Amino acid sequence: MATIKFSDVSRVFERDGKDFLILDNINLTVQDEEFVAIVGPSGCGKTTCMRMAAGLEFPSSGTVKVNDIQVSGPGPDRAVVFQQFALFPWKTVYDNIDFGLRGKGIIKEERESLIAHYIALMNLKGYESAYPHQLSGGMQQRVAIARAYALNPQVLLMDEPFGALDAQTRVVMQEELVKLARKNPRTVLFITHAVEEAVYLADRVVVMTSRPGKIKEILDVKSVREAEKWDQHSKIEDVMDQESFVHLRTRIWKSLREEHAGADH
Amino acid sequence: MLLLFFWYLATTLTGWINPSRFPRPDEVLKAFTFIQAEGYGNGKLHQHVLHSLKLVAMGFAVAVSVGVPLGLLMGYSRRAEALINPAFLLLRPIPPLAWIPLAIVWLGLEDGSKILVIFVAAFVPSVINSYSGVRNIETPVMEAASMLGIKGRRMVFEVLIPGAMPMIFTGLRLSLQASWTTLVAAELIGALYGLGSILNQAAQDIFPAMILLAMVFVGICGASTTGLLGVLENQAMPWRKGRVAA
Amino acid sequence: MKKALSRQHFWSLTITGTIGFFAFWYLARALHFSPPQFLPMPHEVLFKLVDLMEKPFAGATLPEHMIASLKRFGMGFGLAVLVGIPLGLSMGWFRLLDDIVTPLFDSVRFIAPVAWVPFAALWFGTGIGGPTLIIFAGAFPPCLINAYRGARNVEVRFLEAASMLGVGSFKTITEVLFPAAVPSIIAGLRIGAGLGWLSLVGAELIVASSGMGNLIVRAQSALATDTVMVGMIAIGAIGVVIDILIRRIEKLLLRHRNA
Repeated sequence: MATIKFSDVSRVFERDGKDFLILDNINLTVQDEEFVAIVGPSGCGKTTCMRMAAGLEFPSSGTVKVNDIQVSGPGPDRAVVFQQFALFPWKTVYDNIDFGLRGKGIIKEERESLIAHYIALMNLKGYESAYPHQLSGGMQQRVAIARAYALNPQVLLMDEPFGALDAQTRVVMQEELVKLARKNPRTVLFITHAVEEAVYLADRVVVMTSRPGKIKEILDVKSVREAEKWDQHSKIEDVMDQESFVHLRTRIWKSLREEHAGADH
Repeated sequence: MLLLFFWYLATTLTGWINPSRFPRPDEVLKAFTFIQAEGYGNGKLHQHVLHSLKLVAMGFAVAVSVGVPLGLLMGYSRRAEALINPAFLLLRPIPPLAWIPLAIVWLGLEDGSKILVIFVAAFVPSVINSYSGVRNIETPVMEAASMLGIKGRRMVFEVLIPGAMPMIFTGLRLSLQASWTTLVAAELIGALYGLGSILNQAAQDIFPAMILLAMVFVGICGASTTGLLGVLENQAMPWRKGRVAA
Repeated sequence: MKKALSRQHFWSLTITGTIGFFAFWYLARALHFSPPQFLPMPHEVLFKLVDLMEKPFAGATLPEHMIASLKRFGMGFGLAVLVGIPLGLSMGWFRLLDDIVTPLFDSVRFIAPVAWVPFAALWFGTGIGGPTLIIFAGAFPPCLINAYRGARNVEVRFLEAASMLGVGSFKTITEVLFPAAVPSIIAGLRIGAGLGWLSLVGAELIVASSGMGNLIVRAQSALATDTVMVGMIAIGAIGVVIDILIRRIEKLLLRHRNA
């Protein structure tokens, strides 16, 4: 059972002697094997939520629990995929994925097959000995995702993972992630500002207000997806063509637009 | 090349520069053969060069083996930084050359005092640059490391050191430069062997050609040791841009 | 990376570190790492410092030595600045000048300033020319290089605007290149001052009859370790003060700029 639970979480940020309220009383539970996406205007604190689940930041009040244990710091049980990839430039693709595995006491043969599995899955075959600087952004992010998945974490945390990629690559990555997520369901908290991405990937979409961030509404995508059988379309553009998809997307857009109108510039 | 020509012109042909002030090219050549064959100031050229090299190597090696780990530690741990910084800040403004008299009081005119001074000179750049190297590792990369649960030895050897490598090498280069400068000065003041001692002797004997020769060789030694360091640098960092993948 | 320390934590550690340093010093003395006259206690050094302000050593009091050194520094550094900056700016503007000077410069610039001492002694004896040359050798390269780089890195559109307005070479250099290159020049001044001061000390160790470097060398032969240490500290302190002064000048000059 891998759940993420935000209970009355608030986050205050101090700068130049002034206090800024970033998050205001967040209550959210991500269920076991549920894919939850958080969308919201810039500065709404959605990334901060993820970082608190990761243990890279801590709430000013309230608690963040993963599996009912309060988060006290980062760890491989809560794997993070960063927007900036965060691969180690001095390690090869293989070593980057291996690095986190080595500390887990897995014997060599098992590690090797595990890495090979994810390399194949993420279309990285042939690049095992390449260094990050030799790879495109999309390839690097694939490695980062492989690295995270290989850890077999309780929880996967993704911070706008496709934000730094160009539009075409992003689409390809979204398709790959969907396949991966449906095949290997896990508890995922996915941060993005791209609404379509959220609707395409997630089971539920959380819409946040502008700063101070509160949860405005939560929409259930999974029931619509299953009812309308989106998954029978392999291509992303076919899914995005569905009336039900457009309806949901527009709904969320409208919700966000209200926030933008009120947001600081 | 132009310089050589200009030099030759100024000294030999036009007699524009008085030979007792600045040597002519052929005089320098003569000095070179002389010191090779018969030695000067207690030894032949290669003996002096080797001696100087030895001292630089020892001072540099100790300075770097203490300085780099210290810099890495101070970069990684804010606690260590706060603790060690005061001592560092107090000692750092004192120029290495100013340590020479103290080194002589403590260790006499023998090799020991030279090595001490070289150590002081080479120590500071190593620490500072290693420190910067760690601080300059991108935050996402460091966060990824802690996310993966990397600690202790693995953190030091597989994250901090490779991450800080480029700046560590910058520090090494600066340390090496400082080592040579300081050695020459220390040997000028008082030494039996070494390139600096040649300079000293030649100055006293008013032998301009030998002075210039010694200076040239200091430059050569400095350049070749730096070049060696450069080769090491390329070997140590196969992941850098601009290198062809295997 | 570890989180930042809280204010108190930082200061308590810093103070501990400072105390630790002096404690170690006292300890080294107490454990007889070396004979007493070789390692004076910190307070002895302090007393000596006060003492030397009044009583002469090696022919002059501490302030007199400092002034002697600073005079030489002023000459050498001043020369380096007066020659280096205009030359660097001009080289940045006139390609021909660049082509002539750069090879000459590159061949001599790697020679450590101190290595010029024998020639300095040969040419100038113990007069002020010797140390000036050595300080110049140390301070000149950064001044030149930074002025040059500053001039070269001036945005092309400023130069284009200047030529469009029909501004001649001299004016371009003084009124376009120079102001634009100020940050780089200041950086060069700081490095040059540091190197110049270092080189001065080195020179005075060998060929001077007064000044800070001379002071510590004479103290060394007299085995007056406490005086040696006073000298070392004073040398370091002056170096820091010079650096701070230049930074003040930088702040003043850049005041009109927005960050």
